[in-house]
Amino acid sequence: MNEDCLKLTTYFGERDRTPEGLLADELLDIYGGHRLQASVLLRGVEGFGRLHHMHTDRLLTLSEDLPVVSIAVDTRERIESMLDVVLQIKRRGLITIERSRLLTGEIGPVQLPEQLGEATKLTVYVGREDRAFRTPPFVAVCDLLHRRGIAGATALLGVDGTMGGRRARARFFAGNAGVPMMIIAVGSGERIARVLPELGALLPKPLLTLERVRVCKRDGELLATPHELPGTDEHGLAIWQKLMVYTSHRATHNGRPLHMEIIRRLRESDAAGATCLRGIWGFHGDHPPHGDKFFQVRRHVPAVTIAVDTPERTARSFEIIDELTHEHGLVTSEMVPAMSAMSEAEQRGGLRLAHHDF
Amino acid sequence: MSGWVWAGVAALGGAGACSRFLLDSLIAGRFGRDFPLGTLTVNASGALLLGLLTGLALEGNLLVLAGTATLGSYTTFSTWMLETHRLAEDAEVPSAFINIVLSLAIGIGAAALGRTIGAHT
Repeated sequence: MNEDCLKLTTYFGERDRTPEGLLADELLDIYGGHRLQASVLLRGVEGFGRLHHMHTDRLLTLSEDLPVVSIAVDTRERIESMLDVVLQIKRRGLITIERSRLLTGEIGPVQLPEQLGEATKLTVYVGREDRAFRTPPFVAVCDLLHRRGIAGATALLGVDGTMGGRRARARFFAGNAGVPMMIIAVGSGERIARVLPELGALLPKPLLTLERVRVCKRDGELLATPHELPGTDEHGLAIWQKLMVYTSHRATHNGRPLHMEIIRRLRESDAAGATCLRGIWGFHGDHPPHGDKFFQVRRHVPAVTIAVDTPERTARSFEIIDELTHEHGLVTSEMVPAMSAMSEAEQRGGLRLAHHDF
Repeated sequence: MSGWVWAGVAALGGAGACSRFLLDSLIAGRFGRDFPLGTLTVNASGALLLGLLTGLALEGNLLVLAGTATLGSYTTFSTWMLETHRLAEDAEVPSAFINIVLSLAIGIGAAALGRTIGAHT
């Protein structure tokens, strides 16, 4: 386990361009060129940014510029050495850096640091297909997590990325077996720690990260509010906070899917932005893992809604989310030690990591 | 049809598609994503105009250029169907049903109104 890793996440529009070409291509070219351990490009289904413009795949003309999220994980030195190149790109969007722990290779019994005891977010990076499996790896991983009593997992399909330093990009006419996917699971530190060696044995080249989270709500039950963080650390560096809401397409509020209502209500508030990603497979609680079926009208897949903001606005967003998730959904909060919002004209916030113990 | 008419079909078809895109984005951007009002407005206004053209007894190349090319690419059946299906996928069956019934009622009404106006001018 490498304790000192960083996760660089960027939120932007699918059609955002730089003078060289599409921003998504340019970022993933950089990640591929630096042979990052793990990176993945995810296409969102709905969201808004600082200008509160709506993007959604529900209406044809609003779906021509959907939100995308790129995630890159590696050791601190490797991410920091890449950062200058990434920041040189003139662009719009949001960049965050979070602390992460990376597990690769053989995984023996794991003693989790105390910080991860409360709750842990486990992210597993796998290819779409693998010959070692009879079923796709994400199905095998979700099955294992479900059997071991992890609270829930969501498999997100990547369209581009790197795994173990190798770039794999999805193409229209191709098997796309090596294109990375990510499976996000949240559970108690103890249960996650127990399942890690098994995951290591299941996957030919395990690539996992662990992050500290707080589980705020589960199936309507309020367990804790997000940590009350100060706006800045003792050196004056800004502190940010991230809320993630895991729901199913089936969960509704006022007759609409819950994740859509969350985006709508956050957009009506003063929230800085929110992005919704649709999973292809997953489970919550006791239900066995499932996805969509071939013959169906209504969708059953999981959805993840992400909102990064100042601690003050995060507390307000949480009130909105708390009201909407009175029955369904898993809500987690995390500290984000660095964020930068960029437009063509200006850049707000820096990317030096804030420190705050809580 | 002459080469000029073919060129006209291509140009006006493109113009029709662009107007749909602009009007639809404007309406969808303003009234949000809950109900496909943009496509409904486009289809209803297209039906009214096509009714008007046939009411005016336009024929030949003029009808091809104004009707088939311009309004044919301006209005959209496929988007109407796609957005209805997306509503159903999101478990909004009442909205999906309203989208079908309302589009039909307003569309046929608009076409009839257009024809009547056209025939009396």
